[in-house]
Amino acid sequence: MSEAYEGFGRVSRRIGTLFRGVLFASTLAGILTLAVLLVYVANDAVRPLTADPGWHLTFFLTLVLPTIGVGWWSYQRSYGTLTTGLLGTVLPAVAALYAGGLAALFIDVIPTLVWLSFVVALAVPAALVVGLARTDRDVPFLAELATVLAVTVGSLLVIPGLVQSLPTVPADWMVLVLTLGIPEAILLGRWIGGRWGRRDGWIAGVAILFGSAVGGVIGMTTGLGAIPGVALALFAAVPTGLYVAIVARERPERRIGLLLPAVIVGGALAGELLVGALGFAGPESWVDWGFLTSTVQRGADPGAVGIYSGVVGTILLMFVVAAIAVPAGVGAAVYLEEYAPDTTLTRIIDVNISNLAGVPSVVYGLLGLGLFVRYAGQPTGTLLVGGATLALLVFPIVIISSREAIRAVPDSARQASYGMGATRWQTVKNVVLPRAFPGILTGTILALSRAIGETAPLLVIGAAQVFGVPNSWDSAIGAMPLQLYVWASTYASPAFYTTVLAAGIVVLLTAMLSMNSIAIYVRNHYEQR
Amino acid sequence: MSGDGATEGLTRRTQNSSRELLAKAFFFGCAALSVATTLSIIGLLVYEAAKFFTISAPLLGIEGPTATLTEFFTGSEWGLQGPNLGVMPLVAVTLMVTIGSGLIAIPLGVATALYLSEYASERARSYLKPALEILAGVPSIIYGIFAVAYITPVLDAFFGVDGLFNVASACIVVGIMILPMVASVSEDAMQAVPDDLRQAGYGMGATKYDVSTGVVVPAAASGIFSSFILALSRAIGETMAVTLAGGSLAREFDPTSIASYLSLFDPDSYLEPGMTMTAAMIQLLTGDVTGGGLAYRSLFAVGLVLFVITLAMNVLSDLIARHYQEDYQ
Repeated sequence: MSEAYEGFGRVSRRIGTLFRGVLFASTLAGILTLAVLLVYVANDAVRPLTADPGWHLTFFLTLVLPTIGVGWWSYQRSYGTLTTGLLGTVLPAVAALYAGGLAALFIDVIPTLVWLSFVVALAVPAALVVGLARTDRDVPFLAELATVLAVTVGSLLVIPGLVQSLPTVPADWMVLVLTLGIPEAILLGRWIGGRWGRRDGWIAGVAILFGSAVGGVIGMTTGLGAIPGVALALFAAVPTGLYVAIVARERPERRIGLLLPAVIVGGALAGELLVGALGFAGPESWVDWGFLTSTVQRGADPGAVGIYSGVVGTILLMFVVAAIAVPAGVGAAVYLEEYAPDTTLTRIIDVNISNLAGVPSVVYGLLGLGLFVRYAGQPTGTLLVGGATLALLVFPIVIISSREAIRAVPDSARQASYGMGATRWQTVKNVVLPRAFPGILTGTILALSRAIGETAPLLVIGAAQVFGVPNSWDSAIGAMPLQLYVWASTYASPAFYTTVLAAGIVVLLTAMLSMNSIAIYVRNHYEQR
Repeated sequence: MSGDGATEGLTRRTQNSSRELLAKAFFFGCAALSVATTLSIIGLLVYEAAKFFTISAPLLGIEGPTATLTEFFTGSEWGLQGPNLGVMPLVAVTLMVTIGSGLIAIPLGVATALYLSEYASERARSYLKPALEILAGVPSIIYGIFAVAYITPVLDAFFGVDGLFNVASACIVVGIMILPMVASVSEDAMQAVPDDLRQAGYGMGATKYDVSTGVVVPAAASGIFSSFILALSRAIGETMAVTLAGGSLAREFDPTSIASYLSLFDPDSYLEPGMTMTAAMIQLLTGDVTGGGLAYRSLFAVGLVLFVITLAMNVLSDLIARHYQEDYQ
């Protein structure tokens, strides 16, 4: 007993403080290591130190100082003003990135005429579905389903051939305006019409259509190209304009926040002009237009190769992965949350999904190799096989995140729907899925951003080390991470590791960052409601 | 619509209408697909691996070269050119990566979890947690390039390594990758410790240090331990980072001698290149192996070993978390 009393009253703060410091240092250790590595990569990729000091000074004065000044001033006014400005800066940048990717698809992968023919072929059954939904007649469900399926198949068999054999063919940019501009004008026009009144909706719709055509003309005259012109107008300029309009109209107190993007764009342009006039050389960055658009994929000279084939391959893969994994993953989540009885089978499915999420990615590659290549007889390393394999990989992730989103829908909403006499499917369709949509979208984007970096499954299904821009389902598929692996393994020399590979890492991380920023925005936006 | 039609519409049985059944069947099919995926992984790996072994290949009608189980599990060399098909040299290097990355991720991860759970303010947590998630989100091929381009030169300056490839750099990057997993699972376990226990500790005159190390960590031990297993199984399955960082040179490893097991703990052996199971699979696949030859089948044999190890660890981690969880009610 006496020993217990001896220590009483002598409590030292030293151990506690030291312990807390050690814990804090450990928490930062991993984060700081990654930060240092990223700084090294960025430095090797962009090489800011190769620029003239005058270049740095010019941009510091025209871009950095005003941005910091306006940013600080916005923050002082209100936090909301600053976030409005930041969003106004990030939105055009991310949107332009995706518009560029879409333009690349229409330039190099899908001939616009083929695209047009399939859009027309699918528009026919879509019109039928809308028509059937509007009629008052009570058509039996199975008859309706059979009709729609028959019309879809027939239309897909007949119409593409008809359209492709037309004597006169519309120009590329006209096809894009027709197939993408009209739906976007209708959708956004209706949305704006519901928000601000019918008249404004019509004005917006016409403006979008007209703007996309103008984008095509500007693209043609400036040498940018008609297709990128239309794509940028539709998917970068329109969302940006819409954002500005919403802020200006609905958030007058935050309107001044838009000064931030204006200052950034203005400062960048002014800096560019000044640097040109004064003759200061910019940095000799490895991430340049040549690197992004060069299809030269192999070669011992780091200056000649580019990542374009990988970028296009990754975009296509993401489409295939999303098309397979999202319906299946959301469907499984709906079953487990809304339908599943509490039986042994349900519990097996439950345990099975969490175990699937822990299976190494290389094993999914083996599954793809055995299932699709060896037994289904597909050629190795194609777009379809690669996409299907990556879809299996992200399938459990999509299920888990969708289940969380569905579980978050309050039960009272379901009970209200059942109380109105709705069936289970009607409740799922009209209540659960719309409410869970933001959460499902966030989870899906995060799952895709995981798939974008996966290399091992693609290597295992026999993706070729030599690949070009794919032009059909069974052309050899490339991807950004695969391109990095090819460079890293074939030219394993410091000359490659700190030059082109660093540039490739910057491009891949930028793509992932853009996806994650969208996911975070969606989550925060809907959480506030 | 007439009155009779309305009555008919209201009283119609919708539960088993074809639309409802079709929707349910679709959703069930999606859920069943996840089970089908697991079954096809197991079936495929077992079936293809069975063709690899002398003992089972004749049953499946396979002729040509095969490997005996003894060769596969006790052979001291890996290399498909010769008759050397021992998997243990690959398992040994995988074990080295697991040990090395665990040495980094486990102490840092537990410390991080303790800091986030017990010490950090709400504001600090809201910054640190997403920052930690980034560590797990960076693709593994990028970690591999980091290891070769930036970490190996640092190791070279301090310890002197030959060439671009070594196991130590692989351990470091894999350790960084799995750190968030240790941290987040352990933190969840620590958060689940009821506040009553902490208050009881303070009431006894304990300091925050005493409560953290003497109450929270023991109370959350099962969760912390299951986070180790989960993270280490992630390290075992890790592919691209170890392929790039460790190189593709199979080591020699004699599973029958004790000295070779001791060498796994020799720091110098970490400064040399080594090929893990996953790296060996990638190396095999750089050639054309769809033909179904011995190389193709050995791939599935190695894959089966990998799958069994990681699955067993995931199940074990789940069991520990469930069965040894303290029940505070």
